Amino acid sequence: MNLALWAAKTGLDAQNTQMSVIANNLANTNTTGFKSDRAAFQDLMYQNVQQVGAQSTQNTQYATGLTLGTGVRIAATEKNYAQGSVLQTSGNLDMSITGLGFFQITMPDGTTSYTRDGSFSMDSQGNVVTASGYPISPAITIPANVQSLSVGTDGTVSVTTAGSTKPTTIGQIQLASFINVQGLQPTGNNLLTESASSGAPQVGTPGTGGLGTLAAGSLETSNVNTVTELVNMIQCQRAYEMNSKAISTTDQMLQYLTQNV
Amino acid sequence: MDRGLYVAMTGAKQIMQAQAVNNHNIANSSTTGFRADGVAFTSEPIYGPGYATRVNAVAGDAGTDFSSGVMMSTSSPLDIAVNGKGFIAVRGADGQEAYTRAGDLRVTALGAVMTSTGFPVMSESGPLTVPPSTQVTIGTDGTVSVVPLGLSAAAQSQVDRIKLVNPSTKDLQKGADGLLRLKGGGKAKTDETVTVTSGELESSNVNAAQSLVNMIELQRLYELQIKSIKSTDDNEQAAQRMMAP
Repeated sequence: MNLALWAAKTGLDAQNTQMSVIANNLANTNTTGFKSDRAAFQDLMYQNVQQVGAQSTQNTQYATGLTLGTGVRIAATEKNYAQGSVLQTSGNLDMSITGLGFFQITMPDGTTSYTRDGSFSMDSQGNVVTASGYPISPAITIPANVQSLSVGTDGTVSVTTAGSTKPTTIGQIQLASFINVQGLQPTGNNLLTESASSGAPQVGTPGTGGLGTLAAGSLETSNVNTVTELVNMIQCQRAYEMNSKAISTTDQMLQYLTQNV
Repeated sequence: MDRGLYVAMTGAKQIMQAQAVNNHNIANSSTTGFRADGVAFTSEPIYGPGYATRVNAVAGDAGTDFSSGVMMSTSSPLDIAVNGKGFIAVRGADGQEAYTRAGDLRVTALGAVMTSTGFPVMSESGPLTVPPSTQVTIGTDGTVSVVPLGLSAAAQSQVDRIKLVNPSTKDLQKGADGLLRLKGGGKAKTDETVTVTSGELESSNVNAAQSLVNMIELQRLYELQIKSIKSTDDNEQAAQRMMAP
């Protein structure tokens, strides 16, 4: 079929996908620990209709060639792992990571997922769990008769129990980092999983080995920049309109042909 | 049969190809570092017995528009934009060195630095790799420094330098994969004067207004060719009517 039509059609497709990415970012402006996505555009392969420099006769060469591009596609969506702002809360199990690293979460199937969302709470057995009820790894269980609980910047969880004046350490939160954070697979519920391209997790104590520190009583907000997203949305809409104009123009040309010949 | 019919047909076909190039540019108005393609028509006389009475129009590349796009701030340390003239050297799928303006880079699990389209970025000595690290920083001259994995920010160390080149744009040609290569093959020399800015990306340089005007012009030219086919057909029919018994 007509290449002009198809090149413009790929443009519509790609802009449509970008709009989904922008809409998802905007929908997650209030999601704790959310990292914004960006669609990476790539031009599709070129068709070489006439090779430049090919022999036109034995003694002469074509001075110009003709290569026709075939459109565009979305090659990847990339997450922007820039730090989000920190929101002060009063929850004593709320924590945010300042710097690199992810909390480790044990999934119901026994695998480990990773998250920047530090809004933890306690379940009926005293386990520290995420909002979805998945326990943090290494597991931390809070005893029943606790009067106060605190989380240190290095992830030490200590409690003061009734009848005791000295705090006791009940657990240690550890963070994981990856060589290629872009390679982590987002799975929803604010969780990410390891993939072949992310590399294996490097686990360590917060504040050591380049890992970030923990701040208790605060949460990391989404890092979506709404102004950027709105500008992107305008650009996306206009590019979509231009591509649809290109389709209708090509259509008119073909229509003119069929009506007049 | 009137030979004029074929001249108009060739014209219409070539204009449709030019429209395809224009539509490809429009489709890539959001592609990072994309450079718009141009089309020029050349006349090709048809030689045969006697005089070359007819001249066909043939579409050909009018090269690539190398003007700069707009800088977009992304705040990602692995996004780089080339300031002014120059290109980032990458390795194409054919193993040869090629050049691009798209600087949205990433580091794979094995430490290879790639563009988001999957082409390895070159240093002076070969494909650029970084050791396992937590933070990668790219300096204005393309110097890559990292904080090795498991160490603090004080242990920052310099790794290598991205190969930045500035060959004459006249010598560059776009390949089937959209990368630019030297027309004669071979590698361009490293240019010390080319600088990059980290945390920014360069947009496509497709001029929306110009592309839309081009589109209208090509549409009207196309209609002109069709009109010409129609007139030739009308002439033929009139002749047949007169000759009819």
